[in-house]
Amino acid sequence: MITDILTGAIRSGTSVMYASQGELISERAGVINLGTEGSMLCGALGGFAVTVWTGNPWLGTLAGGLCGLLISMIHAFLVLTCGANQLATGLTIMFFGMGITSFFGRGFVSEQIVGFNPVPIPLLSEIPFLGKVLFNHDPLTYLSFILVPLLWYLLFRTRLGVILRATGEREDVLFASGINPQLIRYAAVLAGGFLAGVGGVQLSVAFTHSWVENMVQGRGVVAVALVIFASWLPFRAMLGAYLFGAAQALQLTVQQTGLGISPFFLFMVPYILTLAALYIVERKKRSQTPEALRKVFTGTSAG
Amino acid sequence: MKQQAAAASTLATRPLGRNRWKPLGIQAGLIAAPFLLFGLFLMFYDVNPISLYGSMISSTFGDLYGFGEVLIKATPIILTGLAAALPARAGMINVGGEGQLAIGALFATWFAVFYLHSMPFWLGIPLMLIAGALGGATWAGITAFLKVRGNLNETISSLLLNYVAVFTVGFFVHGLLKDPESFNWPFSPEIAATLRLPIVNGTRLHVGIVIALALVAVVWYVLKYTRLGFRIRVLGSNNLAAERAGFKVSWMQVGVLLAAGALAGVAGMIEIAGIEGRLRPATGANYGYLGFLAAWMAWNSPIRLVFTAFILGMITVAGNSLEISSGLPSSSVHILMGLVLFFLLGIGRRFSR
Repeated sequence: MITDILTGAIRSGTSVMYASQGELISERAGVINLGTEGSMLCGALGGFAVTVWTGNPWLGTLAGGLCGLLISMIHAFLVLTCGANQLATGLTIMFFGMGITSFFGRGFVSEQIVGFNPVPIPLLSEIPFLGKVLFNHDPLTYLSFILVPLLWYLLFRTRLGVILRATGEREDVLFASGINPQLIRYAAVLAGGFLAGVGGVQLSVAFTHSWVENMVQGRGVVAVALVIFASWLPFRAMLGAYLFGAAQALQLTVQQTGLGISPFFLFMVPYILTLAALYIVERKKRSQTPEALRKVFTGTSAG
Repeated sequence: MKQQAAAASTLATRPLGRNRWKPLGIQAGLIAAPFLLFGLFLMFYDVNPISLYGSMISSTFGDLYGFGEVLIKATPIILTGLAAALPARAGMINVGGEGQLAIGALFATWFAVFYLHSMPFWLGIPLMLIAGALGGATWAGITAFLKVRGNLNETISSLLLNYVAVFTVGFFVHGLLKDPESFNWPFSPEIAATLRLPIVNGTRLHVGIVIALALVAVVWYVLKYTRLGFRIRVLGSNNLAAERAGFKVSWMQVGVLLAAGALAGVAGMIEIAGIEGRLRPATGANYGYLGFLAAWMAWNSPIRLVFTAFILGMITVAGNSLEISSGLPSSSVHILMGLVLFFLLGIGRRFSR
């Protein structure tokens, strides 16, 4: 049973994990993007559609990522070029994403795809406990295992990472050294959108193998919350995402065992868990918040 | 004009407010632009936008029934719009109208079904209204608590709580509040006929719109003419100044959020007592988001909110007929709304240059 929950945690947490890693990049540059939800939806639909048309899930992944990127481009433009309020713009993108995906997604509701399926890694998957939990997943999940350390390395061990973090903390320093912070922010938001889109693809093409209207169900919002929970650190965001995933996996397991717990309570658990985790962490610290983000949170930024 | 200057104090409107000398025509044009874009979009799907907008207007103003339908839709939008506009004036973004409405409806139904069913209408309806407001305020109270105690951004927490609210309502209509005679359909028993809001003959229109307009007047008056309203506006335009001036910022934030939740909760009660008569899992779905949108379109001014809510009510009614007549899903209305907001958000700053 524990193996089931842990495997399920990774399987259903991966989409949130992608999105939260993307959000982390963009928040490190000082832009909070609640439109992650919209990016995920568009990625889920775009990836699913292309997989249906071409039969190739990898092309689907690419397409889904690009859909997410396109949606986040609206956010980048409105926030960075027009100076709109970040939270409100993100919400609008969320609604917009719901609208266009349920509009264009009508034809795909009953489609079936092969998509990504779990591929056990030859030797490693035979390790008694860990093998089943860690090495029996779809390719996108394996990719996400590599993504997190890579992102950590990029953020904290490369020049690019320093630039990215400086954008969120002290943009005048960047100006002084001849780098345009706006450009970095654009890049960060777009990268975030791409990863959120890939997260959506993981959901529709690898996890559920179907498209359902509004299937992301707040995972994008959870991803944003998890980044704050994680104090803007990739590995902690990964942990948070798997916690969310575990809460969802718990649903299935409990339902299978037939305990008399209302399913609605179980549906709530992941969201409540996210809020509770956020509350506990957020009470203590404030200092890790990237400088530019704090302005958004306290509502003193440009409207 | 003065009002526009007042609106300048909010986040979103600061740039627009400065623009009070510009002719109103430009503003009207800005409102019209997304509708033009959406019209283009419709043309790709073989829907004639002119006839669509035309039928939208004729069905609204053509007869009493149509007009009533629009007002019915506008009522909860006005209230959830207030629930977004009031915190916005205090510098907070409340997206929880959706959940606050749902829990308000839940509380109202709960009280109506279990305690108020044998009461006369003059006692029962006000009590049910209070129950609804209480429910909304409770839900907003969670957000407020998390904000004040946990430093948690209210946008994120209220958004997450919307999902929890939907599941909470689902839990009750599948369980404790389930109608025993419903053959497994998930909805509550019907509330007593005495608790239904009075209806205008020949329409489905109920007196809820009067309640909504009265609350608009109250919020408008408080914001504009009272000391409390002034403090809220100061808090919204510069919370450092508010802190230095000795305002109890946390308590004000809690109060404003609770009031906002109560307003959205009233919307939930009106949905139950005015339209549905019983609680369903999808009661009031989307009204919270529509209200948020209406508030943004109105630059968080209560008076303008009445008009934007009316327009959104028209679009919603049209969205339903769109689905019936041309087979476009009602979700396409979301696209229109997204476009409207993109325009407002994007142009806000550029306008003032």
